[in-house]
Amino acid sequence: MSEILIIGAGPAGLSGAIACAQHGLKVTIIDEFIKPGGRLLGQLHQEPSGEWWNGMKEAEKLINETKTLPIDIRCGVSVYNIERHDADWYVYTNEGVFESPYVLIATGAAEYAIPVPGWTLPGVMSIGASQVMTNVHRVQVGKKGIIIGANVLAFAILNELQMAGINIERVVLPAESPISKKESNPEEVLKILTEAGHLAPSALLRNGSKLMKIDSLRRMALKYFPKGGMKINGTPLQLKKAAIEIVGNEKVEGVKLATIDSQGNIISGTEKLYEADFVCIAGGLYPLAELAAVAGCPFKYIPQLGGHVPIHSKNMETPIPGMFVAGNITGIESGKIAMAQGTVAGLAIAMASQSNAKIDEQLQQALQKVEEVRTKSPIQFIPEIAEGRLAMERVWEKESNRGELERVIF
Amino acid sequence: MHKDNTIIICRCEEVTYSTLQETAKLHQCSARELKLRTRAGMGFCGGRTCRPILDRVIEDFIPNTTADAIPLKYQPPVRAVTFGTVGGSND
Ligand SMILES: Cc1cc2nc3c(=O)[nH]c(=O)nc-3n(C[C@H](O)[C@H](O)[C@H](O)COP(=O)(O)OP(=O)(O)OC[C@H]3O[C@@H](n4cnc5c(N)ncnc54)[C@H](O)[C@@H]3O)c2cc1C
Repeated sequence: MSEILIIGAGPAGLSGAIACAQHGLKVTIIDEFIKPGGRLLGQLHQEPSGEWWNGMKEAEKLINETKTLPIDIRCGVSVYNIERHDADWYVYTNEGVFESPYVLIATGAAEYAIPVPGWTLPGVMSIGASQVMTNVHRVQVGKKGIIIGANVLAFAILNELQMAGINIERVVLPAESPISKKESNPEEVLKILTEAGHLAPSALLRNGSKLMKIDSLRRMALKYFPKGGMKINGTPLQLKKAAIEIVGNEKVEGVKLATIDSQGNIISGTEKLYEADFVCIAGGLYPLAELAAVAGCPFKYIPQLGGHVPIHSKNMETPIPGMFVAGNITGIESGKIAMAQGTVAGLAIAMASQSNAKIDEQLQQALQKVEEVRTKSPIQFIPEIAEGRLAMERVWEKESNRGELERVIF
Repeated sequence: MHKDNTIIICRCEEVTYSTLQETAKLHQCSARELKLRTRAGMGFCGGRTCRPILDRVIEDFIPNTTADAIPLKYQPPVRAVTFGTVGGSND
């Protein structure tokens, strides 16, 4: 039996393991993927400083560090249930049951799709799937692709596909439907893109982003938005084209697009079929918190964190004894922040098992680091993330006050 | 607004938008009942693909479901496993 069990070998889980193993705790990490690294494995982008963020290398560094410590990484192990009995957690997997007094759930984020008629055809995939195929498995996705959905995730991955020589013909919006909401409104999309800062898909949006935050200027920009789209490294971003249907007999053969106005209304008679042999749908990310839910952890719905998140403190503890969380399960952010949060969680667990002043000092530094990395982060998936974090702090305060009260009453 | 309500929401169980809409209207039911009646989100992937879309759709049909509690409860097993695995024998 290990002293701590970590679910998820992404940046949060690996950093958490390193932090508590450095204080002598025996750690087991389990991950259902074939190799450790989580979503880091697919990441490759240039930072404003000109430096490259090579996720594969970052993962390698972390994994090498785990090898010098009492950390056992088990890949290809999928957790399907988790329960607490007395003082121990029982973690059920396809490789049997793991037991441990502490668990750190670092399962990351999942993608959501925006259904478009025809999205069940072979050749349609989530944008993340195209990233994994290209950067992790090194398989060519197809010859001619169309991305549906214009958001930070889509542009980060578009850039990676372009570097790998994968041809993306255009980026368009999903047509307005009862399911697609803001995603199909050019004005809303442009607003979100201008808040993306460094990751904004073109120099115009990046440099002009302050101007573009002014509503009237944004409206004007949309009015004069080039019909053929704005080129991003050669791929046109067509904010005024919407995907009405993905067509094909046995597999994707093309996408029917229509011209839309600034509010996303389809201009009738403009429908036209564009050839493609694959389609990537970029909806967005949400915290993958199913195991925390199964364990009985209370949740809070905070859209600025990406949806439903398990209630947790700044130290990454949950109201459930012995259960900690870190990384994207607590809110959608970049890989660097997940690493910083993992360190906090690891140190908090070390504190819980053997409280001492030295660990506490490190914990305080780690907490500061999270804030630092967050303010400097070149990627922010949700512009209002800081508000979301504050909201959770307030929830935790309330929760722990209530806990105190209960302890007094009972 | 797109006219095509035959769009599939739950891929595993092939549940369309209009089926969800009609069921919600007819039975005026809870999110959970809507899931049980249509099987949306109950297929092989366990709702991994359609859950966020279902949440959105349910919010439209049955307002105020997006409370702090997760609208559609998660239940183990959260991954597809064999009866052998759950039953304790892997044969
Ligand atoms: C498609 C996609 C693209 C992204 N692109 C970028 C990007 O370009 N730049 C960036 O900074 N951030 C990106 N992110 C955000 C990314 O989530 C963070 O960068 C970071 O990887 C989060 O770290 P994490 O440790 O919380 O989770 P992850 O890195 O996602 O690691 C979680 C791990 O948990 C495992 N796991 C989950 N459930 C189970 C289970 N039940 N049993 C066993 N193992 C399980 C998974 O296999 C995975 O390896 C992307 C996210 C996604 C989903």
